[in-house]
Amino acid sequence: MSVLTVEEVRKSYGGVQALRGCTMAFAEGAVNGLIGPNGSGKTTLFNVMTGYERPDAGRVLLRGRDMTQATPDAVFAAGVGRTFQLTRIFPRLTVLENVHVAAQRRGLLGQLRRWTSGAEHERALEALDFVGLTRLSREPAGSLSYGQQKLLEFAFIMVASPSVMLLDEPAGGVNPTLLRHLAGRIKALNAQGVTFVIVEHDMEFVMGICDQVSVMHNGAALMEGSPEKVRSDPAVLDAYLGTDVSAAEA
Amino acid sequence: MLIAQAIIDGILVGGFYALMAAGLTLVFGVMDIVNFAQGALVVLGAYLSYALSVHLNIDPFLSLLITVPATSLLGVAIYWVLIKPIKRDRVVMSLLVMFAVATLIEGILDWVFKSNLVQVHASYVNKSFQLGRLNFPAIYLYAFALSVGLLALLYTLIYRSRFGRSLRASMQNPVAARMVGINTDRVSAITLGIGIGLAAAGGMVFGTTNAFNAASSYDLISRLLVIVILGGFGSISGALVAALLMLVIQDVVAVVWSPVWGQTTFYLVLVVVLLLRPQGLFGRRAVRAQ
Repeated sequence: MSVLTVEEVRKSYGGVQALRGCTMAFAEGAVNGLIGPNGSGKTTLFNVMTGYERPDAGRVLLRGRDMTQATPDAVFAAGVGRTFQLTRIFPRLTVLENVHVAAQRRGLLGQLRRWTSGAEHERALEALDFVGLTRLSREPAGSLSYGQQKLLEFAFIMVASPSVMLLDEPAGGVNPTLLRHLAGRIKALNAQGVTFVIVEHDMEFVMGICDQVSVMHNGAALMEGSPEKVRSDPAVLDAYLGTDVSAAEA
Repeated sequence: MLIAQAIIDGILVGGFYALMAAGLTLVFGVMDIVNFAQGALVVLGAYLSYALSVHLNIDPFLSLLITVPATSLLGVAIYWVLIKPIKRDRVVMSLLVMFAVATLIEGILDWVFKSNLVQVHASYVNKSFQLGRLNFPAIYLYAFALSVGLLALLYTLIYRSRFGRSLRASMQNPVAARMVGINTDRVSAITLGIGIGLAAAGGMVFGTTNAFNAASSYDLISRLLVIVILGGFGSISGALVAALLMLVIQDVVAVVWSPVWGQTTFYLVLVVVLLLRPQGLFGRRAVRAQ
């Protein structure tokens, strides 16, 4: 069953067509990979799915519910969290405060409550413990290394208990040790039922962690399948290398 | 003794300038727009307190119970009706929108109240307290107490409430704020409401301590911008320190040298500080995380 579906989505910026009738579905409970050459439209598709961009045409469905016009906070409230290529944290709040922001109740009445509830604080501490940042909880978030900021971003998304997490290049700029740690956390959350959609250029990371992989090329879906199938598909190699590999082999 | 008196006057007057500037810098910090209408909104607050005093005999300080909520709602409405619909070049277009709002308010006030100078009156406006040879005008003391109270309330809201945490998060990284489900439009609307509410409170004080008309907004907005730039755009504590510093320097120079140089010094200090520290006293070179 699909958790997130995009149907015939189109998006242009001036004369540039970033998405050209993209149709794709991501399986519930799976770790889905989304790959493609630079400029193939992956991040634009993420932006459309999470309300940061409005598509010119087409629909975005979350478990069958139309989310095409939803705002980012509404998408988040519906249980879809996302991260960005470049980390998006609150640099002058402490690490713990960053997670508190994500953990606190929404809505006007929730905002008027005085401070963090005990339950929210516990969840924030658990999230920091989950990603291994507890000892840095009192530090300003801006003082963390880039890899640690990626983990913090991961923590403050997961503290809201989303059912779907969209990660945009989680491996970018992260050292191998932290990357293994991050992969372990993704697997642990997936085992608890969280669905992942991961955009990533690190093929070793993608092939090692994803259950199925979708490929984009020129703003549209090229193919989808198991990592093994995608890895050996000539059309995917063509898309990445820009040459007709199958023809060359023939 | 004259210098001591000038320092006391500067601190007392600086207190309510800090109040008016806090609203301006708060709005910039969250929304990235310079609210050029802040001066006109201060004058609007002054006229509202004046009208309530003249027509309904309501004490100027009590009138804040009406004028602050009313102008705060006006701020929320300005955001939803005029700023949120802007789709492109939001920062630049917002400047123009707020300039238009300032012009509109000034025009309406000039039409309703004419251009005669007026002042808000109350029984205590001309009273003062003596401490040795030092003179403390009652209205300045009350106004300073009001400013300290409202700034303390603002501090509590920003640093001790969930809304404040959302607000600070939105100031530091609006994209990340939306990423964790914060409705940044609502935060911006409420922030503009708070900023304009503070302008109304400052307006009441301005109206009780100065004769004013609709055109008074020009001098006010220049002074408020100097304070906010000096303190560092987006820094509330910076605005507080800058307001006290500027008014004390102005008053001391006015006593030691001449009142004309007092006014000029206000702007000279700005030039010197910006040459040495372009981001202002408490500003950061990169206000927003990318």
